[in-house]
Amino acid sequence: MLPLSLLNAAQNKPMLVELKNGETFNGHLVNCDNFMNITLREVYQTSADGDRFWKLKECYIRGSTIKYLRVPDALLDSVKEDQNRARDASRRGGPGGGRGSSRGGPSRGRGRGRGA
Amino acid sequence: MDFLIPFTTSGSLVDCVDKKLLVVLRDGRKLHGVLRSYDQFANLVLEDTVERVYHGSAYGQTRHGVFLIRGENVVLLGEVDLDLEDDVPLQQVNLEQLLPFYHQENEERKVREAHKAKVLYDQKGFSKEGGEGDGY
Repeated sequence: MLPLSLLNAAQNKPMLVELKNGETFNGHLVNCDNFMNITLREVYQTSADGDRFWKLKECYIRGSTIKYLRVPDALLDSVKEDQNRARDASRRGGPGGGRGSSRGGPSRGRGRGRGA
Repeated sequence: MDFLIPFTTSGSLVDCVDKKLLVVLRDGRKLHGVLRSYDQFANLVLEDTVERVYHGSAYGQTRHGVFLIRGENVVLLGEVDLDLEDDVPLQQVNLEQLLPFYHQENEERKVREAHKAKVLYDQKGFSKEGGEGDGY
């Protein structure tokens, strides 16, 4: 589950977004794209020093300004379940379903040998 | 050596998946969590994340849950050795007790850095630091 797929799966879920400048946005995710641009609805915006608040009906955040997002704990589990279901379904669909599982190669050493 | 090349950038994170990591962000935050996923930008998904603040040999922490960190904000990340972790001579204290000291230390550091930057700029011919005000 790639980070951006997780974000996609978080649609309509509540989340907290912190921007690089420290401002935070609490709201429900409406939509997102591969640049991490997002739209939220029913948003509570908090200033960086945490002493001013705004309520916004909807807001758009450019992905490049984001520091991090916090998503519900349950999201990871539900996404894992969905993945398992999808995998089982594709297995039942016949062999050849699903993706190859050979990640990385053999003898993928770390660092280099002495005197290499 | 060609086979090493794909694993020198964010690909080298493959060994860190499902391990407990310490992640330091550009704003100085220290996050401890289990790495569940990453991508080519080193965007990270951390599970069971706690944020720790340190002051001297004491630390306090708050639980944050699942984090999706945009990769460009990461300064460093490193695996936490679960065996050695218990031997670290740090003492966990209540976060509320620690925060005043932590903030005071931060303020003092800010003043110090500002003074240093001023001297470097005024007297030593250095250019000014980037606008973000961090050291990275």
